[in-house]
Amino acid sequence: MQRVTQPGSRSGRLALFLAFVFCVLGEAARGADAVVDVWAASSVREPVSELARRFEAKGRKITLVFGASNALARQIAAGAPADVFLSADDVSMDGLQANGFVKPDTRRVFASNQLVVVAARELAVPLAVPNDLLRPEVKRIALAAPEVPVGRYARQWLTSRGLAEAVKARSIVLDDARATLASVDSGNAEAGIVFLTDARIAKTARIAFTVPENEQPYIVYVGAVMVGGDQPDLANDFLRLLVSPEGLAVLGAAGFRPPPPKTVPPSDAP
Amino acid sequence: MSWDEAIAMGTLTLRVGGVAIALALGPALALGLWLARHEFRGKALVEAVIALPMLLPPVAVGLGLLLLFGRRSPLFPLLHALGIELPFTWWAAALAAALVGFPFLVRACEQAFAEVDPRFEHMARSLGYTRGSTFIRVTLPLARRGVLYGAVLAFTRGLGEFGATAVVAGIQPGRTETLALGIWSRIEQGDDSGALVLCAASFLLALAATTLAEGWLRRAPGTEGNART
Repeated sequence: MQRVTQPGSRSGRLALFLAFVFCVLGEAARGADAVVDVWAASSVREPVSELARRFEAKGRKITLVFGASNALARQIAAGAPADVFLSADDVSMDGLQANGFVKPDTRRVFASNQLVVVAARELAVPLAVPNDLLRPEVKRIALAAPEVPVGRYARQWLTSRGLAEAVKARSIVLDDARATLASVDSGNAEAGIVFLTDARIAKTARIAFTVPENEQPYIVYVGAVMVGGDQPDLANDFLRLLVSPEGLAVLGAAGFRPPPPKTVPPSDAP
Repeated sequence: MSWDEAIAMGTLTLRVGGVAIALALGPALALGLWLARHEFRGKALVEAVIALPMLLPPVAVGLGLLLLFGRRSPLFPLLHALGIELPFTWWAAALAAALVGFPFLVRACEQAFAEVDPRFEHMARSLGYTRGSTFIRVTLPLARRGVLYGAVLAFTRGLGEFGATAVVAGIQPGRTETLALGIWSRIEQGDDSGALVLCAASFLLALAATTLAEGWLRRAPGTEGNART
């Protein structure tokens, strides 16, 4: 019995070992390709993925990483290999730029967005005005964390309406824009505050109302080439595609607004 | 969620787990043997330090690795000169997995070595074996069950590693996104069905690993078998 199985298990071990070496070498070979790393706010997932497909159609390769802008910025500062960073606010970009991670001349504002209140399918009462968020049926309100752009925008608005404290008492806090939407989509929160563009791709949640124009916070999306990236030329190309008429059209189709007309430095805004 | 994606993620997960075990096995064997054969003051403290990666929240382990190997680490100039940039590569994921699995492996090795009757080693030495060949040809074969069991435990723990990996390697699709990270990012996107596909893949991987190891353990002559012949 042993004599039969021993050689078998030995060749099995050899096969496992070879497979393992093969895997490692395969990765090493793949690492040599020119890949541009685009790190982007979770809210721009669909249009940026679409533009990445078009970019790759010309024989170039992209790795896309999506997450909360503030978290991505933190990782880039810690050495993450991003070539392009697309942030849903200027705070995250400013922090990186102050520490020398951003090529300042490549920085572009490429889109704007709007805040909306979304309601879960299960919520029986309609939400039409901000104070409806305080109705007893709305037990949990999904907000992104205060450091996350959409979370900060939402709190700015709530504060301006004097609702911040009351909403906070029933809020659940999520990691990024998409996780916030997902919690309403799954019915785990009765309402949430997300970007209009997130709400448009909701599966079951519906837009209750859009925050009135004159109450909308100043929302900008900024992109820039990162100093630490290893593909500066491809990074520039991708950023140029993003702000080209073609890129803006793709963003527009996803519901993003064009960048604000004024080209004042965003940090001067109130 | 395409099958290609899931398979690529599974392959990456296996690679990370395999490299993790490869990294952890040597030090764990050495440490396990040392602990099994030596009694000294403060041993409990040493054991506790070794167990730390298992006891700490994995994210804390990840932060530790990031601070140790990151750009602001005092080690960074040295690592940079050597061409080593670890954070946000799949090697970082492997190192994280190795570290969280390490305590399981050391403990298993220690117990396995402690059960080896030193008389066999003395015999081998008296027959002219060197220390090294005594370990390779007598001690290790006698302890193989325990070592293999620990390796399987550490490997499967590494396959599912999440917290430390997310911090030190980031969730980069195709580069560091292992099954565990993939499940998380799909939950965050509200893609539950994608997450479930990856859960199924994780389940199959873990089942295959443990079944293979069980079969192996059953076929291989164990400690008792060897000791009695």
